[in-house]
Amino acid sequence: MTTAKMAVSSRTNSTSRSIGGGIVNGILYAVLIIASVVQILPLVWLLFFSLKNNQEVFNLPPFSLPTKLRWENYESVWSQGNISKYFINSVWITVVSVALTILLASFVTFAITRMKWKLRPFVLGLFMVGMMIPVHSTLIPLFNLFQKLHLTDNQASLVLSYTAFNLPITIMILLGFYYALPREVEEAAVMDGCSVNRVFFQIVLPMTASVIVTAAIINMIYNWNEFIFVNTFISSDNLKTLTVGVQNFVGQYTTNWGAIGATLMISILPILLAFFLLSNRIVEGIAAGSVKG
Amino acid sequence: MKRKMLAACTLILALVLVVTACGSGSNNGKKNSSPSSSDSGASKSSDEKITLKLMHLWPDGSNSAQNKVIKQIIEEYQNANPNVTIKTEVLENEQYKSKLKVLSASNDLPDVGFTWAAGFMEPYVKGNMFTSLDDLLQGDLKDKFVAGTTDGYAFDGKTYGLPVELNIVPVYYNKEIFAQNNLQPPQTLDDLKNIIKTLNDKGVTPITLGAKDAWTASFWYMYLVDRFGGPDLLDKSIASNTFSDPSLIEAAKQAQELVDMKAFVKGFNGLSNDEAKSEFMNGKAAMYAMGTWEVPNYTTNPDVPQEFKDKIGYFKFPTVSGGKGDVSDWVGGVGVGLFVSEKSKYKDEAKKFVSFFVQKWGEHSVTDAGIIPATKVDTTTVKLPQMFIDLLNELNTAKKVTLYADVQMKPVASEEHHNLVQALFGKAVTPEEFAKKQEDVLKAGK
Amino acid sequence: MEKVMSNKGIIALYVLPSLLLIIAIIYLPIVLTGYYGLMQWDGISPMTFIGLENYSTLLHDEKFWSSVYHSFLFAVLSTVFLSVYMAVALVLSGNIRGANLFRKIYLLPMLLSSVAIAQLWLKIYHPTTGILNDFLTSLGVKETPEWLADPSIVLGALFVPILWQYAGFYILIYYAAFKNIPASLIEAARIDGASPIQIALRIKIPLISEVIKVTIVLAVVGSLKYFDLIYVMTDGGPNGASEVMASYMYHKAFRGFEFGYGSAIGFFLLLICLVATWGIRKLTETKDSIQYS
Repeated sequence: MTTAKMAVSSRTNSTSRSIGGGIVNGILYAVLIIASVVQILPLVWLLFFSLKNNQEVFNLPPFSLPTKLRWENYESVWSQGNISKYFINSVWITVVSVALTILLASFVTFAITRMKWKLRPFVLGLFMVGMMIPVHSTLIPLFNLFQKLHLTDNQASLVLSYTAFNLPITIMILLGFYYALPREVEEAAVMDGCSVNRVFFQIVLPMTASVIVTAAIINMIYNWNEFIFVNTFISSDNLKTLTVGVQNFVGQYTTNWGAIGATLMISILPILLAFFLLSNRIVEGIAAGSVKG
Repeated sequence: MKRKMLAACTLILALVLVVTACGSGSNNGKKNSSPSSSDSGASKSSDEKITLKLMHLWPDGSNSAQNKVIKQIIEEYQNANPNVTIKTEVLENEQYKSKLKVLSASNDLPDVGFTWAAGFMEPYVKGNMFTSLDDLLQGDLKDKFVAGTTDGYAFDGKTYGLPVELNIVPVYYNKEIFAQNNLQPPQTLDDLKNIIKTLNDKGVTPITLGAKDAWTASFWYMYLVDRFGGPDLLDKSIASNTFSDPSLIEAAKQAQELVDMKAFVKGFNGLSNDEAKSEFMNGKAAMYAMGTWEVPNYTTNPDVPQEFKDKIGYFKFPTVSGGKGDVSDWVGGVGVGLFVSEKSKYKDEAKKFVSFFVQKWGEHSVTDAGIIPATKVDTTTVKLPQMFIDLLNELNTAKKVTLYADVQMKPVASEEHHNLVQALFGKAVTPEEFAKKQEDVLKAGK
Repeated sequence: MEKVMSNKGIIALYVLPSLLLIIAIIYLPIVLTGYYGLMQWDGISPMTFIGLENYSTLLHDEKFWSSVYHSFLFAVLSTVFLSVYMAVALVLSGNIRGANLFRKIYLLPMLLSSVAIAQLWLKIYHPTTGILNDFLTSLGVKETPEWLADPSIVLGALFVPILWQYAGFYILIYYAAFKNIPASLIEAARIDGASPIQIALRIKIPLISEVIKVTIVLAVVGSLKYFDLIYVMTDGGPNGASEVMASYMYHKAFRGFEFGYGSAIGFFLLLICLVATWGIRKLTETKDSIQYS
């Protein structure tokens, strides 16, 4: 569907395109391509040295592969320690926190942008200030709190913290889109006697699908990679997450670049996969949105 | 409407504050009272199920040797004491320090854990977080430790920690590189300088150093201080909060002279110790000064190729002509040591475990992990690699082992020492400024 | 409409759970941080009340002010770079072939954890075996820079990976915002004979002003409290040359055993962020009113 749309629009463009436009386009493409090379090169390098041994890392040019790819780097990393356990923990904590954050943030953003109440600016302010506190000054008070709630060494403490700390930024991302969203549909729905809950769940939430996916990706990245809270609130090894594992592993191989590369690759693969799956949803969401608009 | 919401919000805020504030009060009360009541009970009824928490800093990933020894000791202890379960929590170094702090602020230290000596543990001892282990030193563990190794854990005559590691800092060197350039291990600082010149001319990195971890550069400075000013100068200077002795400044000058000669690996101030180490392990640098905890890499570690191990030797830090230091003065000392929490519910059990741990560690650590324990080792009964035996002998015949400067200093001064050493080696301060600033922060007494 | 949209029960239902969560998990620590800031406390022994002494020490702490300077430098730079990201997003949103792929590539670095990014860039910057100095050597540079050891360039060397990491994040947000602009508006302008640049400057950018404001606040606040990469890559060194506010706070509170003083820094950091946000809001207020009218 998107390709069809693109083809249509490029055809309409081409009629008005001059030779000068072609040159500009060429330059634009060059810039875009250079930028993507800069963004992707270090990762390619990472992939390459994860398949080499030390000799090859130091003696071959950085962007060449050895004749024999050393997949055993991956095998040796994967066979060590608790990786599968860490992996499952990371997945479910990330999923639950992201879902909770998005739902709560959408509620709040809806109430702030659509509903009428006097304390809106104050409450919005409360959420925004939450972004500004440096994580490390919260560690001791938060540990105290969870201790009192008997939630230390319990993954609920992570879900609650991730949700709370991601709410402000999520609300902030949603806010701009809610303001820009046309209100006519909702107003009509309310006139027809639709309840607020139905307006929210059946009209507004679907309309914000694209930004929700954006916010979800951002949330996901934060939660997946977080380790300070994990190390502080969780003490049992089988409750910890993948970043902690990566941290512990990287230390071991300080002299073995191949193994470091393999560890890092393993830690980013799942999120990479999730990203490519979800990211297509954004495009669909955006396309759907723009058709409506 | 507005007022109601505001009222509701303030009410909630107030509630949260009250609940947590009350919580802290009552909880602390419980915590403080329960240990004393269960303390006596715990030791009597040995059938009672007990869980001891142990926190250590050797993750399976990065320090698998130590990790395995600890697991083994725990298993042995649990088998011998079926009513005791030992729950471990493992964090890497920096995270470990942070968590220890959070836990002590929340009155929730593990029953048994590891601490660094002297300056690091002082706040914990003053804050009444660690319990005295003198009864163990008088009892089970009497005469087990190498003389003087528990001193760093003692405050006002009581000992609050028991060391598990004892290290000195030799300079390891790559014999192959030395042979290729017709070099001999240096006897004097001038010899060392000649070696540096020769190697630089040949395009070989003379010394690798990871001064992002500033304590590694501190080794070099400490040795220079010792060789110029004699074995007691640094200890005295730190203890008396004065840092103006001419030898201290001379040592700083020499350190900068080495930097000027390009003695150290390029960009050393931005390299971590691990990165610097890999230069040595890859045969790209000729010398590396590091604690004896590195020795397994040159002897027993199966992951390191034998041909590399065969190339590595060590020498003692060279002397300077006219200096007061002796070649048998070492930088080094105890590493981490075990503590028992003052707030532990099962203090007696915890102490029993610590005593067991120290003894077993003494047996296992050398043979299984290649770590020199702080307890006495009988080298005649265990088979050890030659480098180990040599270094153990060095340790036994050492004239003086000066404890790491950053460990000797209190936390704030220690942090600043790190900064200043980086500044000195990065030539951001003059030797005089270096000494002056070090003195200022020592005088501040924090 | 009015009545339905000011239903107190629903407002409470939508807002209170989130509000409670952030009060417990964010505000409680904020309040306590402020409280600890008035204490002399090593985090272990009983605390002593010293009033504003920590803050007066702070005012004369040269190292603190140099960390403030570094943080602000970084905030300004991040904000300036927003315009670059916006330009990229503008181009991408203009029905360009392969936009989808470019956008994904740009976001890739964001997927990596700070631990992984730090490891990667440490290897890039490595003075002897790093890919960057390799490259410079091949160009014939004799004295290659010591990126992370030279106090005069270390800060710049650290900003690059951080900008690299977050580029995709902002591009994604701008891209989604541009895509949400109703196509009819742009089509109308095009029919009126507006050039693509005019359309961008007069229509597209003003229309997403709310999103732009959000990103400026995000960039500034994010930079002011930035910690991760700096902590792993240089730990604020050499000799404080790359120390920022958050790392300074961490060093004081967790390494130096001055938890009271560290808390004061944390609280001060919060205040600075608040003032900065307020300032940004003030500066951008005029556009705001256009948007809502």
